[in-house]
Amino acid sequence: MTRFFKFLSTIRWQDLVDIIINSYILFRVYVLFHGTNAFRVLVGIASLWILQEVAASMGLILTSWAVRGITTAAAIIIIVVFRNEIRSALQVRNLKTFIWGSLIREQAAPVDVVVQTVYQMGKKRIGALLVFPGKEDLGEDIHGGIPWHGAVSAEMLLSIFWPNNPVHDGAIIIRGDQIVEVGVLLPLSQRPDLPSYYGTRHRAALGLAERSDALVVVVSEERGRVTVAKDNSLTPFSEPGELSQLIKRHLNLSDGIPANVQKRERLRLSLAAVLSFLIITGIWFGFTRSQDTIIALNVPIEYVNRPLAYEILDTSTDEARLQLYGSSVLLKSLQPGQVLVRVDLSKAVEGRNVFPITQDNIVLPPGVFLNKVQPSNIDVNLDAPVTKELPIQVDWAGKLQENMNLVKVSVTPETVKVMGGSQILEHVSTIYTAPVRLDSLAKTGSITTALVLTPPSLKLISSSNEKITVNYVVEEKPNGDKR
Amino acid sequence: MVKRRKKFLLLIPAALAMLMVVSNGFAQVAEQIVAQAAEPGEPLQKLKLSHAAMCERVDNLTPTRPGMVFSVANGQVCCFSSFDPVPQPTLIYHRWFHRDELSTQTRLRVYPPKWSTYSVIQLRETDKGPWRVEITDQNGRVFNVLRFSIAD
Repeated sequence: MTRFFKFLSTIRWQDLVDIIINSYILFRVYVLFHGTNAFRVLVGIASLWILQEVAASMGLILTSWAVRGITTAAAIIIIVVFRNEIRSALQVRNLKTFIWGSLIREQAAPVDVVVQTVYQMGKKRIGALLVFPGKEDLGEDIHGGIPWHGAVSAEMLLSIFWPNNPVHDGAIIIRGDQIVEVGVLLPLSQRPDLPSYYGTRHRAALGLAERSDALVVVVSEERGRVTVAKDNSLTPFSEPGELSQLIKRHLNLSDGIPANVQKRERLRLSLAAVLSFLIITGIWFGFTRSQDTIIALNVPIEYVNRPLAYEILDTSTDEARLQLYGSSVLLKSLQPGQVLVRVDLSKAVEGRNVFPITQDNIVLPPGVFLNKVQPSNIDVNLDAPVTKELPIQVDWAGKLQENMNLVKVSVTPETVKVMGGSQILEHVSTIYTAPVRLDSLAKTGSITTALVLTPPSLKLISSSNEKITVNYVVEEKPNGDKR
Repeated sequence: MVKRRKKFLLLIPAALAMLMVVSNGFAQVAEQIVAQAAEPGEPLQKLKLSHAAMCERVDNLTPTRPGMVFSVANGQVCCFSSFDPVPQPTLIYHRWFHRDELSTQTRLRVYPPKWSTYSVIQLRETDKGPWRVEITDQNGRVFNVLRFSIAD
C-alpha cells in the first residue's frame, strides 16, 4: 500500500494532462472513423503491430521480420487507399465538430419533410431517387452529379423530380439539411435475382447500397411504391413513420432511435472512452516509467546571453558528456535538438569565468532524466574586442635564384587595422601575408597577395584592404659572390 | 735635522689625507655629472642608431651581403647596428622574433663616441619563415625594426 501511494506521489499533473489529451485523441479517432473501412484496416494494422511485438519477444525471427514489413506497407496503403474517407472524416465544417461533435449530427436533416414528400411523390407517380450517405466516401461510386447546395424542402424535391425536369432521372444526394448534388448517376446492381418489377431506378439504388454504407430511398414511377435500399437489400415501406425512423437511425438522429439502441450507443461510446484511457495509460507508463536504460551522450554546449562587450576567447571544453536514464523507447528516439546544455553568460565578466554544469543548465525531453554530467565545471574565457593597427610583413617562401638577392621590399598599405579580443591582440605584433614564392622573382617588380589572419578569430576592419601589393627590388649578386 | 725629518714624516699622512678628501670630492662631482647626463629626461646627447641592416655576415665591422631574404643553407644571419653618437657607455638589445614569438635576445654594449656592433643567430630548418629584429635600448625604446625572411 505504501508503495502504491509512493508511486502515486511520483505522478505529476503534467502526466495526467498528457494521458487525458492522448486518450481523448484516441477516442476521437474512434468516433470519427468508426464504421468506416479505414477504421477496420486501422484495427487490423494495430493487431499486426501487437503480433509483431509478441513474435519479437518470443524470438520468432522470420515472423517478426515479415509482420514488421507488412505493418509498414499497410500503414502507407491505408493512407493511399482510404484517402477519401480520411478526408471526409477530417473535413468538418468547424473545429467544434471536429473536437467534440459527431459528424453525422452535424446538421439535422428534415427527415419528416423528406418522408412526407416522398409519399406525396408516390401518390402522384413521380419517380425519385434520394441518397443519404453514411460515413463512407461516395466519390468512387457515383458520377455525373451537378452541384446544387440547396436547402431541403417539399417544393424543391418535387421540382427536381418533376418529369419534365432535365435532372429528374438522376439521384439526389442529401447531406444534413442540404441537397448537395442532383442528376447523380449511381452504379447498377448486377444481381440476377431481383424481381422483374424493379426497374433501373431500383437497380441503381441497390447498386450504391451494395458498394457503400449509404441509404437510398426509391419512389417507383409506375407503382408509386417507396422502397429503401440498404446494404444488400431492397425493403418496401408503406408506413411513413417506419421510413422516418429508419432514416433517422441511419443518420444517427436520437429522436428516431429507440431507447435501448440509444442506451447501447452510449454504452459503446463509454466503453470506447474507458478503453482509450486504459490503452493510453498503459502506453504512457510503458514509455515513461520503465527507467531501465542508461545511455551516454555527447552534447555540444550552447553559450547564451553573452554580454555584447565581450567575445568568447576560449573554453575548457566544447561539449558535455551526459549520462541519461529513462525508458529505452524514449532514449532510442532522442533527437540531437532535444537534449541541450546551455550556459548563461549574462553574469560573466572579462577574463576567466567558471560555470558549474548542473541540472539547471540541461534541457531534457519529458521522461528522460540526468544521471551524471562530465565535466562538472566549464571555464569560459571572455575578452573585450579591440581594434589595433598592425604592420604587414611578407611571408616569403621557396628559394630565390642563386645569383639573385632581394635587397628591398615594401608593402602597400604598410599597416592594416584588425579587430579581435584584447588578450589575443596583445600578443600579435604583425600581420603576415600569404606565402609569396621567391622562385619566380627574376627582376624587380610587384605582386599582389592576401593577408592571413592568425588566429582566425581576428577580423579585418571593413575599411582595411584585403589585397596587399608587394613591391620588391632584386639585384644580381656581384661576381664571385654567388652562393 | 732629526726633528725636521720627523716633521716631514708627520706631514706625509696629513698631505695624503688632504689629497684623498680632494680626490673624493672630484669623484663625487664627476659621478653627479654622469648621473645628470644619464637621466632620461635631460640627456646631454641622444644615443642615435645611424645604420642597421640584416646581412649574411659581418667582416671588419662592415655588413656583408645585406638583404631581405636569407637562405637557411647559409647557416647564419646577422643583425648589424651602428650608433653615432654614443654619449656614454650603454647597453642595447637585439630582440629576435620568429613570427611573433621572441626567439632570442642579445645584449650588446656600445661606447662613446660611436660604436658598431652586431648579433648573430645560427639557422636551422625550423627557422624558416618571417622574422623581425627589434633594436632597443635598456628601457625598451625601439630604435628600429628590421624585417626579413628565412627561406629555402
